[in-house]
Amino acid sequence: MPVKVAFWQNSDCWGCHQSLLNAHLGLVPILPELEIVYWPAVIDYKYESLEARQDGEILVGFVEGSLRTKEDIEGTKLMRQKCQLIINFGSCSCYGNVHGLANEWDIQEVINRKFVQAESITDESPKEPYEHVPGFESKIIPVAELIKVDVSIPGCPPKPEAIISAVQFLLGQKGFPQNEKPFCTDCPLNESGCILDAGKVCFGPVTSVGCSLKCPSKGDPCVGCFGPSKTVANRAEKLKTLTRNLSSVSSGEKKSAYEFLSLFLSVPLMAGFELSADILKQIKLKGEAQTPIGGLPSVTTDIATNLLGYLREHRDFHEISNVCDTCPRIRGRMKMDKVKRDYQGLPNQEDCFIEQGYICMGPVTKAGCGGLCIRVNAPCTGCYGQTIPGVNQAERYADTVIKGFNVGLSKDQLLAQVKDPIGTFEKFTLAENKKFRGGA
Amino acid sequence: MVKEIEVEPVTRLEGHGGLRIVLGDDGKVKDAQFNITSTRFFEKFVEGRYCEHVPRITPRICGICPIPHHLTPTKAVEDAWGVEIPTPALKLRKLLINAKQYSSHLLHFYALAAPDFLLGPMADPALRNVVHVINKMPEVGVMALKMMDFGQKLCAEIGGKSVHPISAIVGGMKKPMDEDARDRFLKQVDEQIEFTKKTVDIGLKVVEDYWDVIANVGVVPTYYLGMTKNGVHDIYEGDIRIVTPDGKKIDYDVHKYLDALGEHIPAHSYATHMYYKPAGYPEGIYRANCLAMTNAADKMATPLADAALKAMKEKIGEVSHHTFAYHWARLIETVESIELIKELLEDPDICNPDCKTLDVEPREGQGIGVTEAPRGLLLYHIWSDAEGICKKLNLLVATNHNIAGIEKSLMHTAKQVFEDKALEGLKLPEPWIK
Repeated sequence: MPVKVAFWQNSDCWGCHQSLLNAHLGLVPILPELEIVYWPAVIDYKYESLEARQDGEILVGFVEGSLRTKEDIEGTKLMRQKCQLIINFGSCSCYGNVHGLANEWDIQEVINRKFVQAESITDESPKEPYEHVPGFESKIIPVAELIKVDVSIPGCPPKPEAIISAVQFLLGQKGFPQNEKPFCTDCPLNESGCILDAGKVCFGPVTSVGCSLKCPSKGDPCVGCFGPSKTVANRAEKLKTLTRNLSSVSSGEKKSAYEFLSLFLSVPLMAGFELSADILKQIKLKGEAQTPIGGLPSVTTDIATNLLGYLREHRDFHEISNVCDTCPRIRGRMKMDKVKRDYQGLPNQEDCFIEQGYICMGPVTKAGCGGLCIRVNAPCTGCYGQTIPGVNQAERYADTVIKGFNVGLSKDQLLAQVKDPIGTFEKFTLAENKKFRGGA
Repeated sequence: MVKEIEVEPVTRLEGHGGLRIVLGDDGKVKDAQFNITSTRFFEKFVEGRYCEHVPRITPRICGICPIPHHLTPTKAVEDAWGVEIPTPALKLRKLLINAKQYSSHLLHFYALAAPDFLLGPMADPALRNVVHVINKMPEVGVMALKMMDFGQKLCAEIGGKSVHPISAIVGGMKKPMDEDARDRFLKQVDEQIEFTKKTVDIGLKVVEDYWDVIANVGVVPTYYLGMTKNGVHDIYEGDIRIVTPDGKKIDYDVHKYLDALGEHIPAHSYATHMYYKPAGYPEGIYRANCLAMTNAADKMATPLADAALKAMKEKIGEVSHHTFAYHWARLIETVESIELIKELLEDPDICNPDCKTLDVEPREGQGIGVTEAPRGLLLYHIWSDAEGICKKLNLLVATNHNIAGIEKSLMHTAKQVFEDKALEGLKLPEPWIK
């Protein structure tokens, strides 16, 4: 049975849809599995047809775009009512995106610039349009502050791979073959020196055999590259106990857990695909869609559920992985002694942007993009969102780079040289910043 | 009784809008509105930003045409600061904007427009979409996907990302094209030219099939807004060219755009209505986009495209008012873009590392950048302070240029449909697929 899916567009640019269409031939195996019941970008259904659906009739709803107009608010609420699962699709719905920069001003000032003051206007007394148009919200807020959201796929736009992974995950189409035996069977540390026996996290007991065993031969834990196995090793229970209390493990172990989860869900990077734990339970309970959880040993399911539970409650789990993790540039050869603007000179393609003097948001931005901007010699501006929301982003940036990079400036010196702190540090996420939302 | 016909939302559209046609009790069409129901105020929130960061924000205006929204503000800042760019950067930008033109026009033709032609306008709405086209005509569908894929991958290669590129910077480009990537695209380009020819054949068959519609429905005289470089079709640089309903061509330097273009704020749409100022509103309503471009152009920049332009003009006139001829004009522009892509890929300059002016300095002043985006002229008028902070932006995008013209042709067509019952006598072809 094809799964019912709906796409809702709030105030947006169409780019997330273009990104999905950019998967091109990658769409071919997925499309027959979907019954798309609403998608104005591509399909001719009208608004009434969405209103006419029964509550909860649609399994998955993708909500995309920023909440700029009153129509955006109504439509988003309608989607929550009609869909069992809501996916925040792209950085607009996740964080408000650049549109949230308008929160810096009173809405009337914003409206006047466009409809009253623009230099090309020729009307004698122009005013804001009022007929058959919905009106504006005074401030933009992230979608998750309006309705409950189950999954978030950030990115401006999200990578096609992340979208396809999300859909495949929901459809239960897994990316890797599943072997009978667990990794432990072949592990050189099975007899002596086992990482789990030493009380540390290793995913060998629930992972398929078949790799070249490089990790354990270097003394590193298994992070699950080959996907879940059909049967588990005895030490699986030990692992399950450890994952119940991830707060107490080292950051290196958390990183392994993070990598495992992303591989387990066949998602390139978890930060590109956030899940709340109960989504799995919901799908399982409904029994309408098979997920990778389906048909696995129950201890494996429990471990994944523990990890997802931790993920939901600890946003810092994401902090483990940022854009620098996928950046090939070299650190330690140069030193920031002055903040440069992007138009100044041309950065070389080998050294870290920050150490060459340029502001790069990589160290405070969630991974998931694969460093696309960096590849064409442009510093990261943070479109996947901050690894830690709700803090003073300018100060956090300065603290982070002074601690982790070759920077010859004090915090005050660095920040004083950035003339546009909002546009530099909160370009995509200002809507999350309650300081600019006043009483709204 | 007054009757309102609403279409909400208009689908297969990049943007948010509804159509509203008001019929009087005498059966006459009283009003035809295109209500654009969303806008996001880029004009305002770029204030206070670094000028060189404006091109990293504004691509979010349009996910289908982010490349013009990346390059045009870059040009505007360069104009304001008096910055020249090296020739390799100019060629890279032209390659980038043509790669976008190619993929966007094909997306428009195959994903947005073709479902109407291939299934027929009366088909089941549930089937009238590109997914169904792919299922029913896999050969054409796979070819279409390969073409869009080529264009988008080329955009991603040069722009860094195909949606919301980042590689242009005030003073040039951040990086030349890698030679191995260039070789990879060069290997595919001849196949793409063949695909384009096949697409043109499909387009011409559609023209033949729907000739009755093209020649009789939505033939609406308006002004046109295009861009040419000394009369030759150009989407990256040139002067603004206005074409009058009777075919007169008038050129304006981009810095004089306020002499030519006026903006009316309608009560019923967040997309404002642009018009030709000397003619007044609503008389001066113009249309932009590909047909406006072919109406404005004396010739195309490449041989195959120029031959195609001549063939179209022979059939529908030097200046065409046929709304449905937009699809034809779009294919002519597609041919030009793939020819230019080949020419530029063969130019060693695109791999030349001398692609950025190193000593760029901000200065106080205004600058204007203009390009032709896939759906019409794009103009950025930016004000910079001495430190290079953006003080103000006036922005004219394709939607503003087109919306009044769309209403005008909607009104005209609504009258044809509801008053003259013109559709009843129309000859429509059998659908290619059902």
